Amino acid sequence: MPGKTLVLAEHRAGKIKSISWEAIGFGQKLAERLNQELKVVLIGKAIGDLAEEVSRRCGQEVLTLVNDHCETYTPEAYCHILSQVAQQETPFLFLMGHTYQAIDFAPKLATRLGRGFIPNCVDCQIDADRVVFVRQVFNGKINLQVGLKGEPPYFVSLQQGAFNAYEVQSRQSPRVVNLTIPLPDEVLKRKVLEIFQAAQGKVDLSQAEIIIAGGRGLGSKEKFQLILDLAEALGAAVGASRPVTDGGWLPKEHQIGSSGQTVTPKLYIACGISGAIQHLVGMMNSSCIVAINKDPNAPIFSVADYGIVGDVFKVLPVLIELAKEIRK
Amino acid sequence: MKILVCLKQVPEKDSRYKIDDLATWIREDDLVFETNESDVYALEEALRLKEKLGGEVGVLSLGEERALKTIKSGLAMGADRAFHLSDPAFQGSDAFVVATAIARAISGQNFDIIFTGVQSEDMAFAQTGTILAQLLGWPHATIVMEVNVSEGGKKARVKRELESNLFEVVEISLPAVLTIQSGINQPRYATLKGIMQAKKKEIRRFSAQDLGLESSQLGKTGSMVDHQKMFFPEKKKKTVILEGTPEEAARTLMERLRKEAKVL
Repeated sequence: MPGKTLVLAEHRAGKIKSISWEAIGFGQKLAERLNQELKVVLIGKAIGDLAEEVSRRCGQEVLTLVNDHCETYTPEAYCHILSQVAQQETPFLFLMGHTYQAIDFAPKLATRLGRGFIPNCVDCQIDADRVVFVRQVFNGKINLQVGLKGEPPYFVSLQQGAFNAYEVQSRQSPRVVNLTIPLPDEVLKRKVLEIFQAAQGKVDLSQAEIIIAGGRGLGSKEKFQLILDLAEALGAAVGASRPVTDGGWLPKEHQIGSSGQTVTPKLYIACGISGAIQHLVGMMNSSCIVAINKDPNAPIFSVADYGIVGDVFKVLPVLIELAKEIRK
Repeated sequence: MKILVCLKQVPEKDSRYKIDDLATWIREDDLVFETNESDVYALEEALRLKEKLGGEVGVLSLGEERALKTIKSGLAMGADRAFHLSDPAFQGSDAFVVATAIARAISGQNFDIIFTGVQSEDMAFAQTGTILAQLLGWPHATIVMEVNVSEGGKKARVKRELESNLFEVVEISLPAVLTIQSGINQPRYATLKGIMQAKKKEIRRFSAQDLGLESSQLGKTGSMVDHQKMFFPEKKKKTVILEGTPEEAARTLMERLRKEAKVL
């Protein structure tokens, strides 16, 4: 399959996101298998140095789209630029990390070009004349095999952590080519007024050695007390999945996952957490993971070292008593 | 302010699944269905805007007969009227086909804002709302955590959730599509009065033919991506499942954490 693979690399504060390196690494592997050329695409204002660094590190050509209006991301500008890039470069695949930014613009871009977008893929099978992707459906409990349809380019985003086995390989000296694509007024109507970090509060879970985390399975704010009790008995920090902070059982700053904190404790005990991918990406690199859940098919068990399939309300009180004994 | 909220009916969160014989869908016989979580937050946000600014809230669901339960619960929460897009030919459609059908159904209805949830818990495309915006030629904002309508209903100022605890505030012109993130508010429960009133509210039904959609534009054929088969994932990590009563399992766990993993 001759042709070209493009990878859009996302960056913030002068650094390429790790998920974009994963996409570049996988893109290299795929391009090699399909005998295709790979190019990395970067959009932004002052990105010359960053582009050289990317090209040096992966040994591929980097296409830069330098534009004063692109210091801050907007879906209109990105779609305008990337649809022209797609038309000029005629790639086979257009890859990116499955980030909040990809969620925001990729469906619009693909639709604008009359194409589909396969989001959040966790696996890919490459044969001589066929590429199929795998994505998770039904809250991570079922996988769906998705094939490419119609004419290229095919737009695909990759789940964080799913393709990190592909190392970025360097072969050559840097090559950076800038494309100038002017932005018409009609794509500049959106006003980005502010980007800010939510107040960090008092809870920094990144340094915690032990985290006891609770999820929807705890059922209510009152019953969530069991998590606090076990944490206290073990001298551990308290974490939560999204439904807990959405429901106001705990302040937002305890949330672990893609929109909250990323943690890597020695021990992570997940209680009543089913393990949506948004939660898993925030804790899957913990050294030892324990999952307690009544559903044996809950995706949390796919990352756990130890699992108890059972009722958290029966298991937690015993753990609390045992933890108190240990601490004595 | 005329607001439309798209609601999707999905299996309950704790469902245990079986895959059907063709491996293209799940077996639905033993499942219980509910309204997709972030869609409920979207409806609550729409109702709050209506209470503040006046106007009306419509709800729309695409799905078979069982989706009526989701539509009726939306009407019971306080929506004024409903659209039910139902046709066997919709089976197997991707987000593009669904968005196309929605765009057709609401043509000429002059909505100011369309709300959807960020993503569905079953297929998790996270793109129906964004595609809909593109088809309508409207701006959109995804993963929205706060909505303020300004300039007499001409603009919306919205707070979007980004990754790693970052937020963005953007101003876009209306009409627009906003995809709402769970946690933006605390959704209300339907009252008995609401449930009674819902029975009198209008539900307009649309078949594929009513929407002027032909079979080539629907289902698997009309989809932009090729959904081939479903299968259960293989476990990547070897999980030691601790058996026994809760008491025994808890004791074994503590023992293993101390002596084997050495983390306690």
